[in-house]
Amino acid sequence: MKLHVVFVVAGVEYALPITFVLQMESFTGATPVPGSPPYVLGVVTLRGRVIPVLDLRRRFGLPAVAPTLDTRIIVTQVGGRVVAFCVDRAREVILLEPERLQPAPELLSERTIGFVNGTYTVGQRLLLLLDLPRISESDHDHEPHALPAADDHRRPALPG
Amino acid sequence: MTTSTDLKEFLTAYLVEAEEHVALANQRLLALEAAQRSGGHDARALREIFRSLHTIKGLSAMVGVEPVVAIAHRLEAFVRGYDRLGTAPPLHSTDVLLKGVQAIAQRLTALGRGEAASPPPPELLAELDRLDSTQAALVEQSGPELDLEPELLAKLAPFEVEQAVRGIRSGERGVIAEFFPSPDRAAQGFSINSVRERLSACAEIVRVLPRSLPVSPESPAGLSFVLILLTQASDEQVASAVGVKAATLKPFSTLRAVASPDVPDSIGAPAIDDEENDPLAAGVRRGIVRVDVNRLDDAMEELATLIVTRYRLARAVAALTARGVNTRELSDVVADNARQLRSLRAAIVRVRMVSVSDLLDRVPLLVRGLQRTTNRRVRVELEGTEAELDKSVSERLFPVLVHLVRNAVDHAIETPDERVRRKKPEEGLLRIACRAHSNTRLELTVSDDGRGIDRQAVARKAGRPVPETEAALLELLCMPGLSTRDVATTTSGRGMGMEIVKRVVIDELGGELELATELGTGTTFTLRVPLTIAIVDAFAFECAGQRFVVPVSTVDEIVEVDRAEAVAVPANADGRPNLDIILRRGHAVPVVRLANVFRMTHEPGTGQKAIIVRRAGLPIAFAVDRMLGQQEVVIRPMNDALVRVPGVSGATDLGDGRPTLVLDLVALGTSLGAGGSARSALT
Repeated sequence: MKLHVVFVVAGVEYALPITFVLQMESFTGATPVPGSPPYVLGVVTLRGRVIPVLDLRRRFGLPAVAPTLDTRIIVTQVGGRVVAFCVDRAREVILLEPERLQPAPELLSERTIGFVNGTYTVGQRLLLLLDLPRISESDHDHEPHALPAADDHRRPALPG
Repeated sequence: MTTSTDLKEFLTAYLVEAEEHVALANQRLLALEAAQRSGGHDARALREIFRSLHTIKGLSAMVGVEPVVAIAHRLEAFVRGYDRLGTAPPLHSTDVLLKGVQAIAQRLTALGRGEAASPPPPELLAELDRLDSTQAALVEQSGPELDLEPELLAKLAPFEVEQAVRGIRSGERGVIAEFFPSPDRAAQGFSINSVRERLSACAEIVRVLPRSLPVSPESPAGLSFVLILLTQASDEQVASAVGVKAATLKPFSTLRAVASPDVPDSIGAPAIDDEENDPLAAGVRRGIVRVDVNRLDDAMEELATLIVTRYRLARAVAALTARGVNTRELSDVVADNARQLRSLRAAIVRVRMVSVSDLLDRVPLLVRGLQRTTNRRVRVELEGTEAELDKSVSERLFPVLVHLVRNAVDHAIETPDERVRRKKPEEGLLRIACRAHSNTRLELTVSDDGRGIDRQAVARKAGRPVPETEAALLELLCMPGLSTRDVATTTSGRGMGMEIVKRVVIDELGGELELATELGTGTTFTLRVPLTIAIVDAFAFECAGQRFVVPVSTVDEIVEVDRAEAVAVPANADGRPNLDIILRRGHAVPVVRLANVFRMTHEPGTGQKAIIVRRAGLPIAFAVDRMLGQQEVVIRPMNDALVRVPGVSGATDLGDGRPTLVLDLVALGTSLGAGGSARSALT
């Protein structure tokens, strides 16, 4: 059993192993960085470190919405890299059994293909397990549709 | 038993100090070897090697690292023997000594990783045993020695030493006089020849040693003669013969006469004073504190937060003032505080400065090792090592230096045979020079007299057109993935590590890199890097509603842009003019709106101020909306690939808790300046 953080982006629930999560905070704005990919909201300072904030809505190719009181940023760390994600809501931490991870159904959401490692079913709920390294990878083409197919999403993250 | 934390704390300090002495010992061993090769003896280096080994032994005994104690003890004993003999150890022993020091270094590294130090290598001990037996034979034959300065002693032939010793034994006094020739003295009848002549009446001249000195009023010729004399006459008589004051004469005597020959351990005792070499006492006497660089970083980090707080305070005061509160006294306090913080910053920056020599001194050992593996012969020249730079810059530069040096020895400098064929000296030359380029930058050049870089071959290898300029060639060499080994061996080129060199020098340190190379003659790399990083003076400004800062050092000037006087360049496709030209001291300066470059939405009509920077010597002006003043900022790097964009070198906190981007307008100007990309970036 592993602890996962559950968050919501555009009505869909996602899970992220808690071992990747450094902290969660309310979103109070980020400094835009001209020239960065459109899904990068900007940078925030966290404990003296300047880290990028990704808008998961835009990363999934969805229209951006104005932040609300529920908007959260989830600060994650993979390897030495620290990246924050802006999500609509994040309130829950639950235990999931890694053995029960199932492949993502084809038509689940074509927008998130390539960002999802699989799914968990918890009662009536469907949770998508996010492929964290993949999602914070910077690609040259910022169009989500142009991303490689799901079978390619396991290539190593953090280029360079 | 000591708690583990205490021991750990202590171990770190031990490792720092021990490693320093390892470095020192290595450096001196090389100096010793160099002197030996040229047929001389560097007695001072030998003495310093002894001291370092002695200190390592003492420190290691304190923390109970027995293997290091054992190795250091053996090496020290060997060196001490030759120090007492006053002669150089045999040339082949340097190798053994270097191996021994390396064995110590390996054990220190292991300790640093939390591993145990392995016992001394038996081969090393066996080699030392062999050396010791040679030495023992020498000690047997060696005669008594004199308590002259080691430099002087080293220059005396054995028969001269014998002559001096005999003289002193028979009741003469040993006296050293120093004569400074000059035109004035010559006019008074004192030349070295007349001095010799006069002395012959009252003293026996053992040896006259010329010594070169810096030119000064005292030694206008930059030269003096040290006269080693035996005499029965009074100091006054000798002094008048030489034409100096009696007080300047120095006596010397024999050592064995003082020391009992039966107690070998006291031979030379006055020179090597164990109390003086006590590692603890030594640290205190020099008044030097060694600090883990992380602690300095912590101090800098604390200062950074303090500076941020200062700006918050200043804002709060400004807000009060705006509300009509009388804040005069408060403002004075804030101003004082600002000044004090500035001094504190300068003080911390000074603490963090290390000598460039720390960096350069590691080169000879590196080259020595490379010569072996590559079958090259290389002479290293180091120049201008007085500059100081921030420890963190120095640490980043080291791998760069290693790459450049390795390339030079491995690829650029030819084998001795080939060099002879090419009518070059058999020994290659690697020259590293260092000088302050300005108050804020250091210039480091790494030159070799090797084959130079073959542009055609590099271009072929990279699958690109042949570069026309050295700058283009450098760019090609720094191309990621340009495989070096092939290029290097078939064409004399370089490439190995050049990508890293570029990344550190340009991307991480914000410095410059240049290349000059001539086929068959040699190559020079020039690096210009800032002496410090982290805190800089910067202008804050506003553009399209967002605040930015730009380091003062990169700004040429800040001007008003009078829209009426600016000449608009004909509109481009979307009909929006975005490039103006202004006249500045008779030069046309292009003005680009930063908001356009960054594609930020902004109201037309703004952009009243322009910041002029120079890229490759040519001015370019960036129009912004409003200048907000000058202040110190703490630059934090933005390392993540997602936000590493041209023109943005980092972020800072102006007191509002949010990052403010630090712009590199020079880089931005350069990225605009590259032909067509300028237009595309501007549309």
